[in-house]
Amino acid sequence: MEDRMQLISSETFEERGRGRGIGAAMDVDEEGRYAGKGGVFERLGTDRDGSGPQKSVEGYILIACNLHEECTEEDIYDRFSEFGEVKNIHLNLDRRTGFTKGYALIEYQHFKEAQSAIEALHGAELHDRLLEVSWAFSRGPVGTRLSTRRRSEK
Amino acid sequence: MTENEEFYLRYYVGHKGKFGHEFLEFEFRPDGKLRYANNSHYKKETMIRKEVYVTEAVLKELRRIIEQSDIMKEDDSKWPEPDKTGRQELEIVLGNEHISFATTKIGSLLDVQNSEDPNGLRNFYYLVQDLKCFVFSLISLHFKIKPI
Repeated sequence: MEDRMQLISSETFEERGRGRGIGAAMDVDEEGRYAGKGGVFERLGTDRDGSGPQKSVEGYILIACNLHEECTEEDIYDRFSEFGEVKNIHLNLDRRTGFTKGYALIEYQHFKEAQSAIEALHGAELHDRLLEVSWAFSRGPVGTRLSTRRRSEK
Repeated sequence: MTENEEFYLRYYVGHKGKFGHEFLEFEFRPDGKLRYANNSHYKKETMIRKEVYVTEAVLKELRRIIEQSDIMKEDDSKWPEPDKTGRQELEIVLGNEHISFATTKIGSLLDVQNSEDPNGLRNFYYLVQDLKCFVFSLISLHFKIKPI
């Protein structure tokens, strides 16, 4: 999308990169895709600035990772409903294997429910694996990349 | 895999036909910004443009899915070129590696099987499905829209 190449800073892409879009610039039709109104992206409002969890339309969304491939929606529901009513679960499957891909997205209506779930379940065990639970959306940019540092290390 | 590795992902699929330029495109930027665009002119459907910041946890899962797919080891030189049926683009920066692939639309595994690089194209095919699935879930849960 616009100024996309400025977002990624490595200067030696053309030597290392692979594919039709490298070097001989890919015919990316930015104008046709994002002209005028097409370039305006909607975003939900934030009540506060800075970092921290971003509220979604109907509540707060968590992501749970490191799930066992045989983990079921019911397993997720059982663990997460201890902290409040679970409004929605997306437990997506690996399209190749048909098993669970390894992550789940969980929706609670209230901030406190979601926060208690993170506190209690991050690092908890499920199917002999340690759950990694955290917020899915952020009010602002996350982390800082170390590309500048990496470059100076060369 | 370190958490502060350089990371960028963009996927596009679309074609130009009797309803104009119809396409789906999403992008994850290094700072977590997820942008989602869907242009379908069929029955005068309006275009959808959404953006939201995802957390480091989401980016980390995304990187895991990419690494598991082996896509960074593939090459699109033997894949079918974009044509009238359509075009797919997948661009990923992961650490020191950068891929920017382009090919036509893939209807089914049969197209994959009949291509010159079935193993590579199959990795691409499944990765794209897993990525779309992840993004559709994120967008539909956050904005409460049906993204397709």
